[in-house]
Amino acid sequence: MSARWRKPPSPPSPELAHPEPAPTDVSTPDPGSFRDPASRVVIDGDKVVRLLDERGLEGWRSLSATKFFRTAVADGRLIESVEVDPPDGSAAALAHPRLDFISYPYEWTFSMLRDAALLQLDLLEGALGAGLTIKDATPYNVQFVDGRPVFIDVGSFEAYRSGEPWIGYRQFTRQFLFPLLLRAWAGVPFQPWLRGDLEGPTAEQMAKLLPAGKRLNTSALLHVRLQARMESRMGDRSVRRELGEAGFTADLILANVRKLKKLVASLEWEGADQGWSTYVECSHVTRDRATKGEFLEAALDRLGSRRVVDLGANDGHFSQIAAAKGALAVAVDSHEPVLDALYRGRPGPGLAIVLTDLANPSPSQGWAGRERPSLMERARPDLVIAYGLIHHLIYGASIPPREVVRWLSSFGCPVLVEFVSPADEMVVKLVGNKLPHELHPGGEEADFRALLQQHFATVAEQALGEGTRVLFALEPLPRAGGEPVITTGGEPAMTSDG
Amino acid sequence: MIFGYLDPGSGSMILQAVIGGLAGIGVAFKAYRARRAINKAETGSEAGDVSAVEETTQPAES
Ligand SMILES: C[S@@+](CC[C@H](N)C(=O)[O-])C[C@H]1O[C@@H](n2cnc3c(N)ncnc32)[C@H](O)[C@@H]1O
Repeated sequence: MSARWRKPPSPPSPELAHPEPAPTDVSTPDPGSFRDPASRVVIDGDKVVRLLDERGLEGWRSLSATKFFRTAVADGRLIESVEVDPPDGSAAALAHPRLDFISYPYEWTFSMLRDAALLQLDLLEGALGAGLTIKDATPYNVQFVDGRPVFIDVGSFEAYRSGEPWIGYRQFTRQFLFPLLLRAWAGVPFQPWLRGDLEGPTAEQMAKLLPAGKRLNTSALLHVRLQARMESRMGDRSVRRELGEAGFTADLILANVRKLKKLVASLEWEGADQGWSTYVECSHVTRDRATKGEFLEAALDRLGSRRVVDLGANDGHFSQIAAAKGALAVAVDSHEPVLDALYRGRPGPGLAIVLTDLANPSPSQGWAGRERPSLMERARPDLVIAYGLIHHLIYGASIPPREVVRWLSSFGCPVLVEFVSPADEMVVKLVGNKLPHELHPGGEEADFRALLQQHFATVAEQALGEGTRVLFALEPLPRAGGEPVITTGGEPAMTSDG
Repeated sequence: MIFGYLDPGSGSMILQAVIGGLAGIGVAFKAYRARRAINKAETGSEAGDVSAVEETTQPAES
């Protein structure tokens, strides 16, 4: 199990099982984990340490004593935890492996959010069976490691007190169920919503978005319409104690969880079938694939890259080459069907998936604008691949070539870029609706070479196919004064639970 | 009414009982009535009507 988390290349990481005796440095609280007072997370070197107060410790004792816990860790559904010496002011501390890469629900494809929802429900069902409960239900508690969802917030478990309802139910509907229903029932992508409103749609909002054909569906009636209704009727009158006295039991939660599992597992989206379609359309792709693969392998061997970001990854072919060489490869694309197909194909070790529009990548947001760091802050590549991408940015998104080159250099690492000339058949297709004067100048190969020279040294190049494309292997020029290119707001989040 | 760090939402809590099935609907109704009685005693006013809970026994027509 422990081999599932690749350790960062440097500095060498201390063995998780034998943590360093050095006291935990509590000065770097994780910006994405502070909402639960019983359990918060600090980054200590390459460890993630969860600090528990007395209540959190109680929860940990209840959890760690169960067979449910050991099974869930053993089959990779729950992150590994090792008790370490707590620093002053904490009742206990748990060390977790630090994940290589964190992604957020608004960067996931439909199937990823659905699997995360099923994991949440599965763990809650198991927990209730063991006399425990999970006190929240947010996808930020789930991360994808080697293409599989893993629950990372051990601090969310606590002993179930009889008569208590499921505290996370409303959150589950807002952050998992309604986004999935939006896509599956209404055909509307959930990512823009979850990116704009981190809490997710309310029942009232969802009720307004139900398509006519689903308004009388039993699940829609209960989880959406009736919830909306009851929320507005009840306001904030307390009913928690009254429910317990009226005879509420864990069985009622279990019945709800099982129904939700069935519902969520049955949801599908229309993009699921068109996985590879956009790819097949491009004839040059199959033609140049082998050459581009060799060019990448040569760079990987030369540079010993550990952390590769594949921009415009499509089906993830080149990400897989990097992952096969032992690197972490982050496959970034804006087209959900291809990434969803990649995810469903179980890409295996070393591959992470990010759905985002590179003309508008995930920003830094949440509390104080840094609870959820931007994709650029989290990426931190030591090699960037930009194959078959820049013409989409230049001619599709109208980003001037000089901006594209400047952006590629902002990663501060070597870049493999495929130049695509205005004469290329794909560009001709892309600009079909634009007049020549509406295009940015400077798209010719000579212009592009001049732009590259301002930021990079070219260490290798290779002409492709019909001569309208060229691969460049670039290394950043040393910067005057060594100023950092991307300024990050301190430590990037290495957990996401809230 | 925040007990944990997360506000579970009163309406959503009662609803869970309803979703739990027949036995749950009874629980929801009882809790709702208890809540209403408390509100009455505290403020001397009606806490709202019980129709939202009553409807749940015939969800198909809501
Ligand atoms: C021609 S394919 C190239 C795929 C692969 N890199 C290759 O070279 O074979 C272009 C890919 O870039 C993606 N893409 C285009 N514009 C994008 C944008 N603004 N943000 C993210 N991905 C984009 C497309 O969805 C598509 O998967």
